[in-house]
Amino acid sequence: MWSLLALVVPSWTEDRAADRAALIRMARGDQQAVSELYDRHARPVFSLALRVLQDRSAAEDVVQEVFTQAWTQASRYDTGRGAVGAWLMNMARSRAIDRLRATRIRPDSNLARDEMLDVPDGSALQDLQLLSAEQVSAMKLALDALPALQRIALELAYFEGLTHMEIADRLEQPLGTVKTRIRQALIKLRDSLQALQA
Amino acid sequence: MIDDRNDLDAAIVQGLAQAVPQVDPPADLRARVLGSIGAAAVSPPKSGFSGSLMWLATAATLALVLGLSLYTGQLRRRVRAVEADLRLADARAAAGEQQAAEAQRDAAAAQSSLLVLTAPDMTLVNLAGQRAAPNASARAAWSRSRGMVFTGRNLPPLPAGRVYQLWVVTAQAPVSAGLLRPDAQGGVSGTFVTPPDISAPVALAVTIEPEGGVPAPTGDKYLVGLL
Repeated sequence: MWSLLALVVPSWTEDRAADRAALIRMARGDQQAVSELYDRHARPVFSLALRVLQDRSAAEDVVQEVFTQAWTQASRYDTGRGAVGAWLMNMARSRAIDRLRATRIRPDSNLARDEMLDVPDGSALQDLQLLSAEQVSAMKLALDALPALQRIALELAYFEGLTHMEIADRLEQPLGTVKTRIRQALIKLRDSLQALQA
Repeated sequence: MIDDRNDLDAAIVQGLAQAVPQVDPPADLRARVLGSIGAAAVSPPKSGFSGSLMWLATAATLALVLGLSLYTGQLRRRVRAVEADLRLADARAAAGEQQAAEAQRDAAAAQSSLLVLTAPDMTLVNLAGQRAAPNASARAAWSRSRGMVFTGRNLPPLPAGRVYQLWVVTAQAPVSAGLLRPDAQGGVSGTFVTPPDISAPVALAVTIEPEGGVPAPTGDKYLVGLL
């Protein structure tokens, strides 16, 4: 079943070695390598930015920023860290959420970092990795199976970068309930990946 | 490989990013991106088309696609906004229904307790811990016409497959009033229905019994209180 699913899921998890080689060439000033990287990753990067921003024009700007940043930082990227695609995705999400926050009224913008979501944001991940097609499929199934409140709370945390308090306000739910729902959602997603691995 | 909690969290982060619906970026974005870093001239977009006819067809198609994509983009944004509102409303409704059901249960329990406590024939009974549970204690308000409100504390944790059972002891035989499952602190409270035609009770007692309860007490007494 998983192998069948793998056929219909975009196979952009391939070519990791080519990505690393492209990055090394970029670090040496080879602009052709950027276009190769763009052709392999522009679609998922754009899709993620669009999911966060819900605005095509803003998502296009994020794509431009991500590949420009990749170009300027290629020499500093340690290719041993993991998948280049994951690095690009992390940049895309981070920049998209920055834009979202800039347009959002933030009455509690002085919140300490530890009061913010405990969904890992990926910015500090040491081992950047892309999931295989079957892992992504398992994740989609697990996401679809989440109760509405768990899924929405998780998505608000991950895709909009909201703090737990902001999510509680948005959903008109107690803070403790929101924290519990996000934790439960993460556990279920984690279980779905572990089940696949088992 | 996914080996530990941190790696799993990293995997979840990537999974969430990769699980979003995939959308093609606009065709002209590539040239803009590469142009912005001076790479456009180095790498023309990959294309299977060639020749002037193909360019004309491509230009016409691009014009059509541009118009359509603007329109579908607008529609898509509106649909997403409506979907997001709908999902928020669904979540709020589900949470609201759950809270309403809990409130209704609490209200019903409070109403039952109030009926017993205000009954003209209400009798208060203090139950003392027995040898099996010397620190346990309980208080019950019993009304022949309206039932019993029971509150106990310090009951020992139940072994697997066992349950506490509350008895109204009469001159003839003990009559079961219900089953008790204390919380982690040994506390338990509840409202119980007792048969209105029960013969003159002399005491209340709590025994430990097999899961599901039994018709007549078989286990050790944990609490006893005389009427």
